[in-house]
Amino acid sequence: MAAYPRPVRREEKAPVILDEAEALLDPVSDIEGFMLACLVDASTGMVLASRKDQDDISLPTAAAGAADIANVLLQLTGELPVDGLEDVMVTFRRQLYVIRLVNPEPQILLLVILDRDRVNLAMARRETRTFCASVAA
Amino acid sequence: MSQTSRFTRARQLTSTVLPGRRLDGYADQVTGRLRGSPRPAARECSRSPAAATDPSISGTARSLLRNRAGLPARPPHDPPAPDQAPLDKITAILAVAEPTVDAALELLSVQSRFAKFRPSKVPDIGPVSDISLDALLAEVARRQRMLGQLSVVLSADTALARNPHIRPDTIRVSAAQWALLIRVRHGSRPRDLAWDLSRSVFGTTI
Repeated sequence: MAAYPRPVRREEKAPVILDEAEALLDPVSDIEGFMLACLVDASTGMVLASRKDQDDISLPTAAAGAADIANVLLQLTGELPVDGLEDVMVTFRRQLYVIRLVNPEPQILLLVILDRDRVNLAMARRETRTFCASVAA
Repeated sequence: MSQTSRFTRARQLTSTVLPGRRLDGYADQVTGRLRGSPRPAARECSRSPAAATDPSISGTARSLLRNRAGLPARPPHDPPAPDQAPLDKITAILAVAEPTVDAALELLSVQSRFAKFRPSKVPDIGPVSDISLDALLAEVARRQRMLGQLSVVLSADTALARNPHIRPDTIRVSAAQWALLIRVRHGSRPRDLAWDLSRSVFGTTI
């Protein structure tokens, strides 16, 4: 069988609406096991700002997925006695997704993707909560 | 002519983007960035100015009331100031970015009936927030893909009908959802509702 050359991975950064806000996500990128973080407009799935250490994660896909998950859960909060969505943790075999509501209206989400082998879930959750509080202050 | 080249050609003319009723803006041919500012007319009118300053009302609601009462300084819709909290800056930029992307989506759609480019000098629209053209085009392309997938069942111009089998007394909705629901009439379209509420057409449609 012929050996095909490996495709060259494109390293260029995906453009986001709020590119100057990348520095804003610095504290999140210090979390142990950090892979990607972004701020997402939940009503449209639009990525407002992002920061990532790995290129093999599709940012628009992850952001749209986070927005869909949050929207479904926000609808559920109208039907269940749960008093508002705080954060969501999705566990994949190799990664952990932490989704947190940063602002209720307009609904802005923080999505953080972490390497499951390196992350301490409790610490990661605490640090995302601290970050969201600092952003709003 | 492709959508992108239509846009590029328009940029070479230093064209004015017409983002609709909520925003003034233009494409800057020198920097390749889109610049936008909320349109004063979109700052809606009339309610009691006293309510707009009532401390018992939440920040967002008070801000909306300030707009309706014609009072100045609406942080979520004004361009970001250096001393604003990061979240205020983000929401301020989102308030400009969303109508800009929404308008560009309409502008770059093949059958646009509601927006067009026009050659212009740089308009005097005061302080602005800007968006990179690459980011705008990437977001427009993403939205076009999504709307393409949805187009079998829904578009911004699909006439809506109430479902008679849903019992309203079993549903709890947010204030934003309620504002939308009370405006839905038989035959309303997502585009009409979005314009009526000064919201994103794309966001309302999906």
